[in-house]
Amino acid sequence: MRRIIRRREILEDSLRYAGEVQDPGTVAVQTAAGWIAGAGTRGGNGAASGPVALLLAATDEVEALAPHLQSVQWIVIEFAKIGEGRGYSQARLLRQRYGYAHELRARGALKRDQLVFLARCGFDAFDLDPAEDLSGALRALDSFTVAYQDGDEALVQLRRRAVPGAPA
Amino acid sequence: MYRYDQIDQTLVDERVAQFRDQTQRFLSGALTEDEFKPLRLRNGLYIQLHAPMLRIAVPYGLLSSRQLRMLAHIARRYDRDYGHFTTRQNIQFNWPQLERVPDILAELATVEMHAMQTSGNCIRNITADHLAGVAPDEVADPRPYCEIIRQWATLHPEFSYLPRKFKIAVTASPADRAAAEVHDVGVRLKRGADGAIGFEILAGGGLGRTPIIGQVIREYLPQSDLLGYLEAILRVYNRHGRRDNIHKARIKILLRALGVQEFRRQVEAEFEAAREFAPRLLGAEVERMRAFFAPPPYEVLDDLPDAAGNAGLLSGARAPYEAWYRYNTRAHRVPGYRIVFVSLKKHGEAPGDITSAQMDALADLADRHSFGLIRSTHDQNLVLADVPQRALREVWQTLASLELATPNIGTLTDMICCPGLDFCSLANAGSIPIAKQIHARFDDLDYLYDLGPIEIKMSGCMNACGHHHIGHIGILGVDKHGKEWYQITVGGSSASPAALGEVIGPSVPKEAVADTIAKLLDVYLEERQDEHERFIDTVRRIGVEPFQERVYETDHSAA
Repeated sequence: MRRIIRRREILEDSLRYAGEVQDPGTVAVQTAAGWIAGAGTRGGNGAASGPVALLLAATDEVEALAPHLQSVQWIVIEFAKIGEGRGYSQARLLRQRYGYAHELRARGALKRDQLVFLARCGFDAFDLDPAEDLSGALRALDSFTVAYQDGDEALVQLRRRAVPGAPA
Repeated sequence: MYRYDQIDQTLVDERVAQFRDQTQRFLSGALTEDEFKPLRLRNGLYIQLHAPMLRIAVPYGLLSSRQLRMLAHIARRYDRDYGHFTTRQNIQFNWPQLERVPDILAELATVEMHAMQTSGNCIRNITADHLAGVAPDEVADPRPYCEIIRQWATLHPEFSYLPRKFKIAVTASPADRAAAEVHDVGVRLKRGADGAIGFEILAGGGLGRTPIIGQVIREYLPQSDLLGYLEAILRVYNRHGRRDNIHKARIKILLRALGVQEFRRQVEAEFEAAREFAPRLLGAEVERMRAFFAPPPYEVLDDLPDAAGNAGLLSGARAPYEAWYRYNTRAHRVPGYRIVFVSLKKHGEAPGDITSAQMDALADLADRHSFGLIRSTHDQNLVLADVPQRALREVWQTLASLELATPNIGTLTDMICCPGLDFCSLANAGSIPIAKQIHARFDDLDYLYDLGPIEIKMSGCMNACGHHHIGHIGILGVDKHGKEWYQITVGGSSASPAALGEVIGPSVPKEAVADTIAKLLDVYLEERQDEHERFIDTVRRIGVEPFQERVYETDHSAA
């Protein structure tokens, strides 16, 4: 059984990908491209009745998904190999520009070393390389207690927090 | 200079702990070599021909004497008693043991240094004009902006897995000593119509296999938008830069594929769309940062009439102090002071190499006579930027005793050079032996001085770490059937307007490199209008053909 990290907990995965057995209570993940292509014809065949989980490839444009985000409960962004970096920008755009608030999961060739970056881009669930030790990965989420970038006017705000009484 | 606060120190300490864990997991087998590689690279650790190589960041080329002593200590304790300054103002050590690298990083952290992002597909060390803050010709000191960009770029969550490496240079002088036009992004300080400081932004420059001069994508960017605009450029690149071919993955290839108009349109559109969430650079933050780079407490002095020595009576190699003064020092904007270059281009040494003993002694010299600060240049020399003129003779004597006073700054033997086949696993051919060959051939200082300013840049392979494309004379090592050959270019320049050199013809064998250069110089000496016309200007005026003709007219060894 595949285990994932979701909001700092280790859980059994309830998503199923193409080719996997669809146990009761699990949700089948569809490709974002296929699901968007079917958006115009849905309704009559019941395809949109259940929860929707979408798999976003690195080459998919988040802009195409943006108008449909209200109907989506899971977005899984795929990291096909070490060094794939497009998903970080996809996540930032989904969270910041398009206001996506449900689960955003990173899946693929990922280890604990990428978790801090992923989390800071807006991912809240992680389906890591099966060889990775998840308790070690959980600890790695706390590798850094400071950052230079988060949020508007980040550099200054950080220092205000660090220096009590500094001018606002 | 910038001093770490608690946030900076915590971040560096946590990075050391993270890298220690990563190294441990590799050594225990939990990480494969393929998995460890991108992790170690982004912390400056290569596996080279003989041993690991560790590259340590020297942000925008500024070091304190305390930091330089630490580098000497690292060289002594963990390496072979020397370090090598690079063309990106960093320093690298060629012989550390992998297991001890976390300890090296922990020692560096105690003096506010690190190796973050000195390699890997991320935003690299920010480089700048090595004369920032003392150059008479700058718009404003670029270093506060360099430090702001450094912090913004450090462990940036979105831009740590880019298609390829990403280099940013900042300059504030029309002379562009930072080579901003051949960087992924060049930031040039300029004043707007209202007198406020802003930036001209260039993108898409770079050397390597496909050398391209960067293009202006924003004529004027207000100060507050600096980081937001950089984020927009990086986001367009991160999303759309090629990832299928490592040789086509730099931003210059994306810019060329889209065309500058379309690239600019995409960046501007992203910049506007992201405004709500983009970091804004507040004036207060710039002021806070500027205070770190305030001028040192200069004494009120007058220029010394005899600082230059007896230059009027003696000249050339017969007057060593005078020659050193003329070639290795520069005018300072504060009366009574002088900028001193420390030559790391002594005959017989690899360009950029420096021993532990030299580093320690130089740190002492900086403490005595230059406010305890040392700078590294992208030409692989060092600088004491604030030397009182009355101390010049003593500084010269000390440097001479350290063998750091070769009076050749800006001359033919002030070559820049990559480590080449002697150390680097990418190289096709040696660079250091060619540097030595050129030094040996052109050891007559009077001849060098007659040649005037001329830049030779040399790379051992097409990755162009030695920036051969922008040398007045460029030398590129190539492999021909297992033998080292060298392709020669002329007419390149890193100074604005930057230019790429033109290949003069078929490559020449190793033993013919210095002879080939001698022929180029003969043509120059015959053709120059007077001694004030530099080599590069003669090339620009008469073109490359006369040089080609001379090199290849009777040369049967070229193939």
